[in-house]
Amino acid sequence: MPQFLSNKRLIILLVSIIILVALIGFSIREREKLTWPEQFIKDTTGWVQSAFSRPANYVAGFFENVRDLQNTYEENKELKARLDELAQLEVNVQTLAKENKELREILDNKEDLSEFDPVQAIVIGRNPERWHELLVINKGKQDGIKQNMAVITANGLIGKVKSTSQFTSTIQLLSANDPTNRISAKIIGEKETYGTIEGYDEERKLLKLKRLPYDAKIEKDQIVTTSGLGGVFPQNLPIGKVVEVVPDEFGLNQTAYVEPGADFYDIRHVMVVTVKTQAPDLSDITSEEEEEL
Amino acid sequence: MKKLLLPIFVLFIFILESLFVELFSPQLFNSDRIIVPHFLLVVLLFLTVYGGKKQGILYAAIFGLLFDIVYTEVIGIYFFLYPLIAYFVSKTMQLIHNHLVVVSLTSMVGIILLELGVYELNFLLKVTEMEFQTFLQERLYPTLILNLAFTILVSFPLKRQFDKYAEELRNE
Repeated sequence: MPQFLSNKRLIILLVSIIILVALIGFSIREREKLTWPEQFIKDTTGWVQSAFSRPANYVAGFFENVRDLQNTYEENKELKARLDELAQLEVNVQTLAKENKELREILDNKEDLSEFDPVQAIVIGRNPERWHELLVINKGKQDGIKQNMAVITANGLIGKVKSTSQFTSTIQLLSANDPTNRISAKIIGEKETYGTIEGYDEERKLLKLKRLPYDAKIEKDQIVTTSGLGGVFPQNLPIGKVVEVVPDEFGLNQTAYVEPGADFYDIRHVMVVTVKTQAPDLSDITSEEEEEL
Repeated sequence: MKKLLLPIFVLFIFILESLFVELFSPQLFNSDRIIVPHFLLVVLLFLTVYGGKKQGILYAAIFGLLFDIVYTEVIGIYFFLYPLIAYFVSKTMQLIHNHLVVVSLTSMVGIILLELGVYELNFLLKVTEMEFQTFLQERLYPTLILNLAFTILVSFPLKRQFDKYAEELRNE
């Protein structure tokens, strides 16, 4: 039987283990930006990926359309029933929007946390190994995308921008199990309740909304949106609906399980959201405090 | 020209994995099982066995690094595991006859090694909190079935092409 590991091989193995640990340590810490070789490789592969993924998506889209045709009749019936409600809703929205604008003018308040500019993007890749829930999209720094921006689909928030290169960026989905990924959220009701989205229950496929006050009364089906308090995400991006509320381990807080509005799996088009109102710089705040003193 | 074909083919498989997950994700994700394509590893192992050991390990290292940078953003895991598994498979193939069925089964063992290695590393790095039993039942077994199907489909044409490739290398 030939020897599996000779001395020379053993040394190579040990050296490569050291390199492995060093590389993992280097890449897993919180990084502001990717190194330029990484960006270059990402851009190059991103180009090849979009060359393949667009035609593939067209073909898949065609089959999906055919499948959709089968349900057309029933869907049409249901949609017609909804149409009546819609007219009423439209009138309401218009009056409210007008009122809102007038009130803002009175207050002389131009800045709005819920205003944002969306950048449309197409998903060109997805991490196949599925430990990290990552997507690759075809817009990057050149299109004004920066780290930590919110990413939404038509149905709601799906994640944030994890890293950017010149022409592509990587999105981390909300369903990723990353303890550093926290999003300030609120439950809309008579009184708004604030908490943070932390973690994802993989078995039940629900998001965990933690740090809710223990005395808050939360009901099922209440809507959860972003609060805009972090200064990174705009306000009022829909996240999902409350399914269940349980007390925390220590009874000081409550945790709500939230069913995400967006599908984390069938994602083709996304929008990257850039906040119009920038959070004030730290230097501004400190200088104001000094003035008060 | 012919020399360029192999890298392009492997690159295509590399992108195919991501495309596969992207396009079939609704069907794949809406069940409790996690099915992961490891087409790239299968091709790399076949290359190692039939196309030549050095070539195989070199490609495994390059595409492992590419995989880490493009897909996982944690550099090192696949960069380390792909060549290591390719090396072990090439060593094992010196002991047993490299019949097509044997090679296919060995690449399944390779996939098990890769999945176990990646799971353990991710568990250490706290990327996942999955328990080992859940990992086996929900991830490893379905993954093996998918990749076995892929291997059966491509094994024969792959062997023929890589045999040709090895022949060309020898002639040069």
